[in-house]
Amino acid sequence: MSLLTSLARLRALDEGIAQPIATVRHCHLSARPMVFVPLKLSGEAAAPLAAVLGTDRDRPHLLVVTQPRNRDLRFAWAAELAGVLLPYVEGFLSDTETVERRNADPYERALDAPQLLVPNTAGIAFTRLLGRSTRFRRPDGPYPVPETVPLLGRWLTYFGERAAFPGSSLMLAATEELGRHWASGQSGLEDANLAALLGWITEGPADDAEDPLIWPPAGPATDPGFDAEVLAPAIESGSAERITEALRTQLEPTWRLMWQAVDLLAGLPEGASVAQRWEQDRGSFSGMAAQIAEGAPPQARRDGAVAAASRLARMERAQAAYEVQRAYDDPLVMAEYRLTGEAFAGEVVETDPAHAEGEGRSRKLRPLVVVKTDDPVRLAPGTALGTPQRRGQGAELVSAGDGLVTIKITKGMGRGRTPTPGAVPEVGERVCYSSLTDDFQGSATLPEAEATPWTHGGPPSAYVPTDDDAQEEWS
Amino acid sequence: MNRLDALRGSTPQKPHDARAIAALAANPGCTRRALLDGAGIDKDAAARHLGFPAPFGQSPFAITRGNAFESLVKADGCAELLRMLRELLGLPIAEVAYHDVENVGAHLRHAHTRALFDRAARDGDDAGTVYDHPLLSLRIAGHTAYLEPDVVAFQLGGRFHIVEIKSFAVIDGQADPAAVAAAARQAAVYVLALRRMLAELGHDPLRVAHDVVLVCPENFANRPVATLVDVRRQLGVLERQLTRMTALDRLLDGLPEELTFDLMPGEDGLPTRPAAELADALRRATARYAPDCLSTCDLCFFCRDEARQEGATDLLGRHVRDELGGVGSVGEALGLADGTRAPGEGQEEIARLLRNAERLRRECLA
Amino acid sequence: MSDRLDELERRIDGLRAGVRRAMRAKDPATARGLRAELRAAERAWDALVTEDAAPGTAAGTDGAPAAVPGPRTGGRGRPRGGRLVTVREQVHQALTLLGAPAQPRLVAAVSEALLDGALRGAQLTSLRRDEERSFVSSPYGRPYYLCAALTDRLSPARGLLTVSTWPLERRVVGPLSPRVDFLTCAMAVARHLGADPVAALDPRALRLLARMARNIPGATDADLGPPDPDRVAGAAAHELAVHAGRDTRDRAELAGRATSQLDDRARLFGASTLITVARDTVAGDTVTTSGTAGGTATRGRR
Ligand code: SF4
Repeated sequence: MSLLTSLARLRALDEGIAQPIATVRHCHLSARPMVFVPLKLSGEAAAPLAAVLGTDRDRPHLLVVTQPRNRDLRFAWAAELAGVLLPYVEGFLSDTETVERRNADPYERALDAPQLLVPNTAGIAFTRLLGRSTRFRRPDGPYPVPETVPLLGRWLTYFGERAAFPGSSLMLAATEELGRHWASGQSGLEDANLAALLGWITEGPADDAEDPLIWPPAGPATDPGFDAEVLAPAIESGSAERITEALRTQLEPTWRLMWQAVDLLAGLPEGASVAQRWEQDRGSFSGMAAQIAEGAPPQARRDGAVAAASRLARMERAQAAYEVQRAYDDPLVMAEYRLTGEAFAGEVVETDPAHAEGEGRSRKLRPLVVVKTDDPVRLAPGTALGTPQRRGQGAELVSAGDGLVTIKITKGMGRGRTPTPGAVPEVGERVCYSSLTDDFQGSATLPEAEATPWTHGGPPSAYVPTDDDAQEEWS
Repeated sequence: MNRLDALRGSTPQKPHDARAIAALAANPGCTRRALLDGAGIDKDAAARHLGFPAPFGQSPFAITRGNAFESLVKADGCAELLRMLRELLGLPIAEVAYHDVENVGAHLRHAHTRALFDRAARDGDDAGTVYDHPLLSLRIAGHTAYLEPDVVAFQLGGRFHIVEIKSFAVIDGQADPAAVAAAARQAAVYVLALRRMLAELGHDPLRVAHDVVLVCPENFANRPVATLVDVRRQLGVLERQLTRMTALDRLLDGLPEELTFDLMPGEDGLPTRPAAELADALRRATARYAPDCLSTCDLCFFCRDEARQEGATDLLGRHVRDELGGVGSVGEALGLADGTRAPGEGQEEIARLLRNAERLRRECLA
Repeated sequence: MSDRLDELERRIDGLRAGVRRAMRAKDPATARGLRAELRAAERAWDALVTEDAAPGTAAGTDGAPAAVPGPRTGGRGRPRGGRLVTVREQVHQALTLLGAPAQPRLVAAVSEALLDGALRGAQLTSLRRDEERSFVSSPYGRPYYLCAALTDRLSPARGLLTVSTWPLERRVVGPLSPRVDFLTCAMAVARHLGADPVAALDPRALRLLARMARNIPGATDADLGPPDPDRVAGAAAHELAVHAGRDTRDRAELAGRATSQLDDRARLFGASTLITVARDTVAGDTVTTSGTAGGTATRGRR
């Protein structure tokens, strides 16, 4: 969190309503997201209790383990979940485009991809555990499960892991995304409560949000009071209907909140780089689908050392790129860097478009631009700069002082003796330059390593699940 | 009457347990909490009486599951536990003697525990290996708290290990870090209590290992797995906090003589003291609210409400407070940002940053 | 229905005691008459209880679920043919098979996996108290009682079941006894399965054996395959040899003390001293309070 966000929080607290901290939406929002609100049985690692899910806000699917202590019913529940989720996921596989690659075979990329929305980060963690507890199951052998269950497990594992990938939108937690776009007047800890955070964004804070009788927790943990006073007696009664109705009361309010969150996010214009990151998501998704189609084994219990290192490196790169892209897409995010002196914005007051350096053959065009700014510039001469207004362009800081910054353009102004028209900002134009740079052209057309089909040198999952994995108790 | 007793008044003293003691370290800077805990006042009851009941509760399913797991670990002469201790600590095969301290009456349990551990520390080899349901004690601000570790293991090497049985799962070698941290804090309380007991008995306190044996279910099955957890850091924090608690007198010095947090329980045990009066009394002792209180202290909603009324920046979390560099109130911070308030001494830099931040926000949101 | 069963059971108990008394008084004629009445009462009880039991559940084999392998339905271990085995008899059979003091949990597992029993944990909780009550109202009225193991203070050990007909040395527990008894039980289970290869195919039996085996050094190879009963028995015997000497000495000493210090009832059900009484009341004040009410500061105990 930056001082800018802290200030927004103070303002929110003072005005009694959340304040924007983004001017565009930084995540992709599917036209048909799968909203998924799971609940788990308290005290257990990953025993499902119920879930409500669906792509249509008026037609939620309610799935309930009608006797939560019965292991067989858990798998039956997982099969039901697979019955809703798998057709949704697989529905995106038929429409594809062919992507050409340098030094590799072309591959097919889905034109659109599934998107899972859960209420909070605990929901993501639970999804991952559900994946872990189902992906090694087998449809045959001593503890058979419906054959869709292990497949569901692999997809849930995939979504859960992808959610940790910076900038990915395949699986999002509502509280995280809302918190990226609005600052409430409460602490980050309290923002993890979906009802409370939405309250701040829409109508202002209300203590109701913390009252489990009015707003049941958004899962996966249930309210202990509900467990003791409602669920336990219902389980004791053995009535599937009573249990179902009890759980419905805990899920329905969150279902409504989730769609409210979708609407809020949809109300923001999409950031310029979102489509590019979604393209990577589509590539990754297609790669995963290809792995499954080609018969790769389920994801390992743990990454091998090499795989873990390369995953970490990819995540770090993705994190850096995501931060740069958000700043370039959104002046309010860039403002954080302006505040710390790593970026500055202002009006062009003078230009020398024909300025050149060197003589004869080594003569290079280096247009000069002078910007007048109120920002506290803390950049040394020679620092490489980029600008959101001309993304392909490179520049270098020449000098800064007294509110005037001189830069020279080093890249992206054409190869002629004079710059291509429009490459050099005009006097009077508002511009922003920053030391944050990212190679935007980079490897966007290449799928990431994890999306490479495993038959093509992608990371092979060397893990061979044992009988033990398939038989592990789910208790 | 000692002043802490006066603070408690007629309210029965609430005994501390390991979790409560572990939580003492959660907000060491808070005078209000230090006094309430020092006097042994039931904060939960106080919060409820004030109309701000604590948001904590435990699901009966979690309780059942916890008990079932513990009995599984201890079943059949602690067969599972012995296996794990053999694997983890290299416990020799011959070391299997089991003592259920609870076989004596509750009022004798503490004395019995002492006698057993004294003998173990003295005789070494011939002593027991697994002590079930021991009862330890720890002095907290002049009061004795009784503590029940799950199991204490005594090994041939002459060292005692605290065994802590928890039912959160370790999945593919990973567990919820918050749960592990809480278990470590709680186990540290037992380590400290056992060390003090040995010291009183004239033995070397360091014979209690700072590595505790944490037993959890592995993956999704009930199969227990044991891990050694080093609790030295937690021990350090705890000891420091306990030392501070013995210095409560100094905290009391600044408070009026007649101040009391008495709930004045009636015949039925329910508080009869007017809530507003109790609230006033509590407000005399300075709190240091932070959002972390929401998971560690029964009074959290009361203190949060107070922080709201005061417009304290503490509400937004330590992070924001630190970033504001000591600007304590929301109004003050916003005044500096808007330029309607002149920076006080030492506030020039934060004021400049806030003004700049305000200018940037306005520009971007225009 | 169950009222009549209760009544019949009381009658059966009374008749059994009467038969014994008559035998002791060397009065065979009375004994014979009573025995006839006893038979009749038992038959009536059987008939009643057969009606009561839903077919195919605990009552018998006819409608046994397909999950139980076919060969298991042979007449092994317990009476068949629609006769319901009482809870105490199921427990008795399991304990007899194990041959050592055991916790209700293990008793239920053995009964289920090896004897086709269907015990629920809750049924065992009140068992010992019921047995004690029955003994007090008519001492030795039953051929056996399910009773307590005795601690080194001769008080009842918590949660251990034994059979009254066992020698006292087996029913007392010293510090090593929990381990020794566990190994004894493991050996019994392993031998039972070793002697009956068909029974050893039952997944429940295998699970039970595997669970015990993994806590005995050398009983299994890592996690590969189902455990070999002979190997488990061997490994258990091997460790048992380490502890046996001292345990036998401890137990003999305790048994001696129990014989000289306790009356009949206490020898079976443990010395219910002031201590035991005190525990129930005092526990409410210190232990329980600090364990539950204190639990407010963190969200979950475990
Ligand atoms: S909730 Fe209040 S009393 Fe408790 S630690 Fe926080 S500030 Fe102190």
